[in-house]
Formats: sequence, C-alpha cells, structure tokens
Amino acid sequence: MAETLVKKFVVTRFDPDKDEAPRTESYEVPCHPDWKVLDALNHIKDEIDGSLAHRWSCRMSVCGSCGMNVNGQPTLTCKKAVSDLPDTVEVTPLANFPVVRDLVVELDGFMEKLKSVKPWIIRAKEKAVEEGPMRQSQAELEEFKQFSMCINCMLCYAACPVVANEPEFLGPAAIALGHRYSVDSRDEGAAERNEIFRGEGTVFACSYANECSEVCPKHVDPAAAVNQAKFNAVIDWAAGLVLPRGGKE
Amino acid sequence: MADAHPHAMAPTRPGKTRTAPPQRPPQFPMGGRYLAYTAFGWTGLIYLLLGFLVIEAVWALGDGAAAWQEQLLRYEHPVYIAFHVLALASVVFVGVRFFRLFPKAQPPRIGPAKPPPQSLIHGTLYAVWVGATVVFGAILAGGLF
Amino acid sequence: MKHLLLKIEPLIWLLFGQGILLGTILLTGWILVVNLGVPLGLISDDGLAFQRAHELGSSLVGRLVLAALCALPLWKGAHHMRHVSIDSGGAGRDAVVAPLLYGVAALGSLLAIAAVIRL
Repeated sequence: MAETLVKKFVVTRFDPDKDEAPRTESYEVPCHPDWKVLDALNHIKDEIDGSLAHRWSCRMSVCGSCGMNVNGQPTLTCKKAVSDLPDTVEVTPLANFPVVRDLVVELDGFMEKLKSVKPWIIRAKEKAVEEGPMRQSQAELEEFKQFSMCINCMLCYAACPVVANEPEFLGPAAIALGHRYSVDSRDEGAAERNEIFRGEGTVFACSYANECSEVCPKHVDPAAAVNQAKFNAVIDWAAGLVLPRGGKE
Repeated sequence: MADAHPHAMAPTRPGKTRTAPPQRPPQFPMGGRYLAYTAFGWTGLIYLLLGFLVIEAVWALGDGAAAWQEQLLRYEHPVYIAFHVLALASVVFVGVRFFRLFPKAQPPRIGPAKPPPQSLIHGTLYAVWVGATVVFGAILAGGLF
Repeated sequence: MKHLLLKIEPLIWLLFGQGILLGTILLTGWILVVNLGVPLGLISDDGLAFQRAHELGSSLVGRLVLAALCALPLWKGAHHMRHVSIDSGGAGRDAVVAPLLYGVAALGSLLAIAAVIRL
C-alpha cells in the first residue's frame, strides 16, 4: 500500500451571491504520492466539499483548463505533483484575472485580446482548391512552430507584471499567437497585425520581465515572440515612413 | 495579496455575475525572479544620472583646461566613487540581462535574410562588449592614440 | 496624448534599445577609466590630460562617440523609469509621466549635442 501524504490545502473560495470578498478554506487531503494538485482538488470536491468550483479537463497538460496559482506560482494543476510541494499548499485563482467563483477566472478578456490579433491565415486571395495545397518547407515551419504550441492556459498572463498594470496590453499568448501567423510563410497578414501590435494593446508595453517564458508549460517562449514582434513592428513602421503603403486590402 | 489594476484582463462587457477583483502576481515586485526584474527597471535611474554626468564632463571639456581639471577632481569625491561603483554594477547587470534576451528577440527572417544561430549572436555581443571596453578604455587611459 | 505616445513608440523603443546596447558597451570603459580607475589612482591620469582629451574629443569620431555616450543612456533610463512608474500602479498617470521622462531625455540629448558641438 503506497504511503499517504497528508497535505493541508488552503483554497480560495468566493461565491458572488454570498461573499463580499474572496476568503480561504483549509482542507486536509490524504494524497496518494503520485497525485497531482488537480487530483487533490478533485478529491476535495468529490469527498469533502462539493461546492468547490474549478476548471479542468484533459488531465495531461494539453487543454490549458486547469491553470491556477499554487504557492504563488502560476501552474497547471494537472502537472504539478503534490510530492514536490510542502505540507501546506495554497491554491488561488490565476493572478491578474477577475474571479468568477472560487478558482474559476473570467476568460472573456483573454478571448477578446486573442481574437483582436487575428490568429488565422490571412490571404489577399484564397488559393483555389484545384491549385493544390500551400506548400511549406520544414525550415519555414520551424520559424513559427514553437509559438503554435500554445495551449491558451494563460499562466503567462498570471505571471506578467505588465498585464497586472496595463489593462489594454495584448499580453504574451495573444501576441505570440498573432506573431505565429505573421511569421507563417502561408500568411499575408503581417502588415495588418503590425498595426494591431502598434495600437492600444501595444507590444511595446512589454518590459522584458521574461516571466511568461519562465512559467510556460509548453516551452512556447512567448517573450521571444513578443520581442520579435516588436522588431517586426518597428521595421514595418520604418518602412511605412519611407515607402507609402497601398490602400487597405 | 495585492490588487492588480481593477480592469486587468476584464472583458469589454461585464459578465452576468459579480467578479472579485484581479490580484497581481503574489511575488511581485520584490519576491523570487521579480526582484531582478524590478532592479532592472530601476537601473533606468542610474542610466539617467550617468547620461547627465557625462554631459557635465563633456561640457567641462568644452569650457577649458581649468574646468576639465576641476571635473576630474570631482570624481575623486567618495560620493562620486560610490555612485560609479553602483553604476558599473548596474551597467554590467543590464548588459548580461539584455544580452541573454537579445538573440531570441531576433525575428526568424527579415526579408530573405535569416539571423545567425543564437549562440553566435550571444558570443558576438560579449566579444564586442569586451573588445569595445578594452579599446575605449585603452584610448581613455592613454594607451592607444 | 496616449495616441501620440503610441505613434512615437517604435522610435522610443529604438532609442531605448540602442541606449541599452551601445550605451552599455560604451559606458563600461568610460566608468572603469574616467570614473573609477583614474580617481582611485589605479590608472595614470596622463590619458585624460586636457590637451589630449580635447583633441580626441573634438575629432569627428570623438564627438559622435561622446554624443552617443551622453544621449543614448538617457533614453534607456527614461523608458525604463516609465515602466517602473507603470509597474507601481501608475497606468493612470502615464499620460503625464511618459512625456515628462521623454522630455527630460530629449532635453538631455539636445544638451549632449550642444556639448559636443562646443568642444
């Protein structure tokens, strides 16, 4: 029989109908040594307090649903082993996000920022099916592949000091995903995205904390994407000073 | 826990239920890796002062031998020495931190041109930094030209 | 003001980037010799004798290097202090703080140009 690790989980609770402000509740959880933090939260919900609300889905770090702050660090709770944690574990909702209930944060702000960068292939004219597929070499793929690994878990937003202080900032994941498409050889929308990157959500608000890349569970390195996007935006701006741009497509 | 900006990550239209205000990262600004980040920001003050101090020096050089000599004597004051020790540490800290970021900040291509490997960029930056320091330092110290 | 700041942001970023890159590269040697080595008596002050210093400084290359040494760190400094202000919850006051800081850098840059011209 595997040894049980008894850990105290101090969990943020917030019911907007009952609570003025978030509070904490403590739960003693007998953890199997192989458990992740998510297993402990599910145990709390299933066996101790059914009112706990938290998001989760795949349990294997690909869906991005279960991001929370664990002992102050933005973490995928399905990935973090309880055996790596001290006897008291603080679980709070992702930092920098409005809290809907308990450990569930408001996602719509992120969805709006993501949509605003047009994270899809933009073509002046769609290639006809009979012309065949848009071919892309391995080298061309490698130029953006790491940025496409983003699972929208938003740990980067929870770590970013600029997101905490500048509400209009597009943020690491949205910029990384927009940049992913601008750098994609099949895309023709870089100019359009550069305008967005120089707009209200300006990429230049990034102040080189690099925390987004430190916490990213998929090694996307959004800090690289954001700073590459700055470079491209400046080249686009400088070119625009010298060469008149044609009418908007 | 401290509040983030009240509108941090807020949607354009509020949701159907009341939300609790966003909290900023618990370790920000002085805990964990944020301490180095905060220090990096505050080197801005050192650089502002350094810029104006160099302007002071160049101005004195333009005022003539007596003013220049007076300027050099000023640098011997303990406050100036202490500041410039701090300034040197800041400049090195900024260089190391920025050079770590610089290679990955290059876009994968500019037109047809691709950047060199990141390790080569990193090594070149340090080589230029050390080389320029040696050459510029030697010129200032009278060892060159 | 916010719209103006967004428009000039690429230029500010370029100046900030050069302030870090060139500013750091040039400042290291300057501080080591002029501000520490010579005052502490570790390096002879012959190199900084007025006639030599003025002759080198007033050459074309000398003026350009000195101008860069004065001005570029100011832009790095101003931009970073703007970030410090915002990080301390100052997004609301950015419309005042940013032009103030960039104004200081711009004024300093003009002084730098004047300083090297009058050598």
